Amino acid sequence: MPLGQKVIVIGGGHNGLIAAFYLAKGGFKPVVLERREMVGGGAVTEEFHPGFRVSSLAHTLGPLRADVAADLRLENFDYEILQPEVRVFAPNPSGESLLFFHDEEKTAAGIARVSQKDGQKYKELADVLEYLQGVFGQLCSMTPPAIDKPAPDDLWNLLKTGRSIRKLGKRGMFDLLRWGPMAIADFAAEFFETELIRAVVAARGVFGTAMGPWSAGSTTVFLLRAAAATDACPVGAAAFPRGGLGKFSSALAEAARAAGAEIRTNAEVAQIRVKDGAVTGVALVDGEEIAAEAVVSGADPKRTFFKLVDATQLDPRFAMRMKNYRMNGTVAKVNLALGDLPAFPALASTVGPDGFRAALSGRIHIGPEIDYLEKAFDASKYGGYATSPYLEMTIPTILDAGLAPEGKHVASVYVQFTPYKLKNGNWETQRKELGQTVIKTLAQYAPNLPGLVEGIQVITPKDLETEYGFTGGHIFHGELALDQIFTMRPVLDWARYKTPIRGLFLCGNGTHPGNGLTGASGANAAREIIHELR
Amino acid sequence: MGQHYDAIVIGGGHNGLTNAAYLAKAGKRVCVLERRHVLGGAAVTEEIIPGYLFSECSYVVSLLRPEIIRELDLPRHGLEILPLDGTFTPMPGGDYLWRMNDHGRSIREIRRHSRVDAEAYEEFSKMMTPMCRFVKPILSMIPPDPTTLRPKDLKQLHFLLQRFRDLSSDERYTLVQLMTMSAADFLDQWFETDVLKATMSASGIIGTFLGIRSPGTAYVLLHHYMGEIDGAFRSWGFSRGGTGAISNAIAAAAREAGVEIRTKAGVAKILVKNGRAKGVALTNGEELTANVVSSSVDPHLTFEKFLEPSELPSEFLADVKRYKFRGSSGKVNLALDGLPELKCMPGDGPHLRGAISISPSVEYMERGYDDAKYGHYSRRPYVDMVIPSLTDPSVAPPGKHVLSCFVQYAPYKLAEGTWDEQREAFGDNVIDTLSEYMPNLKKIIVGRQVLTPLDLEREFGLTQGNIFQGELSLEQLFFLRPVPGWAYYKTPVDNLYMCGSATHPGGGIMAAPGRIASQVILKEWKRAS
Repeated sequence: MPLGQKVIVIGGGHNGLIAAFYLAKGGFKPVVLERREMVGGGAVTEEFHPGFRVSSLAHTLGPLRADVAADLRLENFDYEILQPEVRVFAPNPSGESLLFFHDEEKTAAGIARVSQKDGQKYKELADVLEYLQGVFGQLCSMTPPAIDKPAPDDLWNLLKTGRSIRKLGKRGMFDLLRWGPMAIADFAAEFFETELIRAVVAARGVFGTAMGPWSAGSTTVFLLRAAAATDACPVGAAAFPRGGLGKFSSALAEAARAAGAEIRTNAEVAQIRVKDGAVTGVALVDGEEIAAEAVVSGADPKRTFFKLVDATQLDPRFAMRMKNYRMNGTVAKVNLALGDLPAFPALASTVGPDGFRAALSGRIHIGPEIDYLEKAFDASKYGGYATSPYLEMTIPTILDAGLAPEGKHVASVYVQFTPYKLKNGNWETQRKELGQTVIKTLAQYAPNLPGLVEGIQVITPKDLETEYGFTGGHIFHGELALDQIFTMRPVLDWARYKTPIRGLFLCGNGTHPGNGLTGASGANAAREIIHELR
Repeated sequence: MGQHYDAIVIGGGHNGLTNAAYLAKAGKRVCVLERRHVLGGAAVTEEIIPGYLFSECSYVVSLLRPEIIRELDLPRHGLEILPLDGTFTPMPGGDYLWRMNDHGRSIREIRRHSRVDAEAYEEFSKMMTPMCRFVKPILSMIPPDPTTLRPKDLKQLHFLLQRFRDLSSDERYTLVQLMTMSAADFLDQWFETDVLKATMSASGIIGTFLGIRSPGTAYVLLHHYMGEIDGAFRSWGFSRGGTGAISNAIAAAAREAGVEIRTKAGVAKILVKNGRAKGVALTNGEELTANVVSSSVDPHLTFEKFLEPSELPSEFLADVKRYKFRGSSGKVNLALDGLPELKCMPGDGPHLRGAISISPSVEYMERGYDDAKYGHYSRRPYVDMVIPSLTDPSVAPPGKHVLSCFVQYAPYKLAEGTWDEQREAFGDNVIDTLSEYMPNLKKIIVGRQVLTPLDLEREFGLTQGNIFQGELSLEQLFFLRPVPGWAYYKTPVDNLYMCGSATHPGGGIMAAPGRIASQVILKEWKRAS
């Protein structure tokens, strides 16, 4: 295909925009088609209550893979990252709490006050993650190898990865093999004795998945996430763009435009046109037809193949595998408009009154014990949600006052585990109750919170599907499980961003590595697509 | 100083005996030391209630390696395997699901529940055959070390990779799924009938502390499925005289080869000098010396009880401490006056001659696991029952029967109370559960034996009551079993070897660990001399 040719990118989420950026840089003419009135997909800022704006879904940055961030140069596009001093604040109901600071030494010192051993272990785990980052970083940047006929590139990549794996030493290699299939609860217990720390670490292995801390393989999810981070921290990062996640997406869009991409909003694709096994373009819902020999879908794999492609065009064996791809979500989102900052009595013992604001400026983890998290998960197995769900809350207005009227705040709360399929009733009838459950749960840690609520938005798993386009309500475009990663994401034999339909590619989180807002899938896909089209 | 041997084998279970038999056949002077008064370890049959022979722990033969049957000539030594036909799963509503060895009949029965599933079952069986064929040679190999570049290990890894690449695309897809998925998710892809999925997934949790929705259980499902296809050897069955008869047959083969077998000979210490195993000290104070000590008991006993911490590298010891046992099952053996009557299929019949599985729904199985996670035995447990006396009348008085019930979950660590306090309540709970399906049961019970995980530990030497000498979870399989870097039957102590279920390929009456370990020992011997 000659350079300068049009490539259609379906979906203006972060991976679609990043793929478009690289395609434009590579000499193609990408056209991004976004169904909604704004780009961003799961990374958007919206007004949910008069005067209150919030990052509707994702509420902290990925962060972007370092090389992608360096290429995009988002700082040129009115983009500012706010870095709270505290990564995570974790209270428990009996009034104790732990703070995980941006600064590792400070965190370790705080932990050491609870357990000397755990303070040491915290640093040890950070070191482990740092040396694993070398390996995982490479794995996340490469295109999963072809099994039958590995290309020279594949062999080279495997050799490189093999070399960095060997650098781990015998012990390190065995640890990696052993940890992968383990339950995150076991992994956390290998390092820590304090229940609260175990729970905070374990949460990172189950967030957004249909797994509890005792589910085998959740350590892989933890390691994948740790690998995606720019710093090796056991509890992960917390960083916000000023103006919310929508600002991140609009900066991405600007960068893509500057590189030469065209970006259209309110442009919903109705169908990917396929003829004789190859794409010929797309049809929009308003009837417009756009011809193109290459279409890149940032939408999730099931949406791409079962909603946008005519079923008769799919190879039945591929369709069967795709059907088995698991992507029933377990996450909901509740956004609260608050009249004032909630008070957490547990903080009184940890920081002085002057430290309250800083303590709440990162992620607030509600899930004090492994058993608490597991019980929250248990309910979802039978089609319900727990009365005490696992919550992750941020109050972005502490650092970014512009999101709410003066003196007021917004709280953005991820709720887990809320199954996409409810056994009793449906999400329309459960919406209000879910909001109340969240407020009640928060009230156990911040008793004055219910009185501060001026407005509430509940985004159910069903809303995630209908409004934001996540099939099954799965925010990661499919379970991150041992059988759905790397050469098996989304399915074995088709993990190289190509699809059985000539000219149709995938670039969303449903492809390797699929680890959230890192841009890795989009960047990897663009590299393969350029290679394929040239 | 007592006797001197070429090799001392600790533990007279089926693996220890197999190990000894092979060493003796190679001309070595071998002694097996068994703590109990009877041989067999967990493959043992005893008369607990007068007239009734209970296969107390292990109750069916599934995976006994055909090459071992052949090489040790076990049939000549009294081994006789009787067929165990099918699995009958009663349902609370009065219906049932009956899968039989006769494939056609199973398909017809499944069609009664779902036409789609009947077709899928056919496909499923076809697909599982190459899966088992792929795994089988792995069961007989010494795991390669994936962290070295030694040619021998690379060759083996390459062999595995090549075998994988030789599979068709669909076979690879399924194999990878079996290695990584949960049994429930895996079966969800094939079937729609809840009871079919529940009862099939049950074999994925046996001996693990995992639920059917936990990744890794699909592998255990395959592990148990393998016996079923080995039709030529009729690998799923009863052993005439109980599972103890298997141990006795192996013991007879071992004795014939010259092995000295001592019962009531509990080991207290493994004697080590300058980093070398020299022999053992028995609990009665006697000391026996040997060139090689081969331990068929689990790593906790071998390394933490029989050795001093100073005799082992600290990193190795830390790995041993981390090795997960987490027993999750118990056993209830019942002596019956007559035959139990199933509500959904009254009367005597072939359905009583197979396994009867209380696994009526996926949710039932998962809720049983939830109880165990928080330290309680399942309020409504998964039970796998057999009535061996129907196939082998020698195990009960005429007209009477033995009902052997494998029960899961029964967590070793209880949240409240001790197993000594809970034993009878646990047994009652099992009988109550069964009575819902077999209303006449309580009336015909004349005696019972309840084995909790604590009993399995105390009586049979299975640490934390794990029937496989350690969980069959992915991080404890193949080159990671029992501990990373030591999956080759050797230990950090020279001349001390492992040959039990805690080594590759793991538990069940396979005897493969005992055999492979003997090959390793003999090879080292040759190298040394």
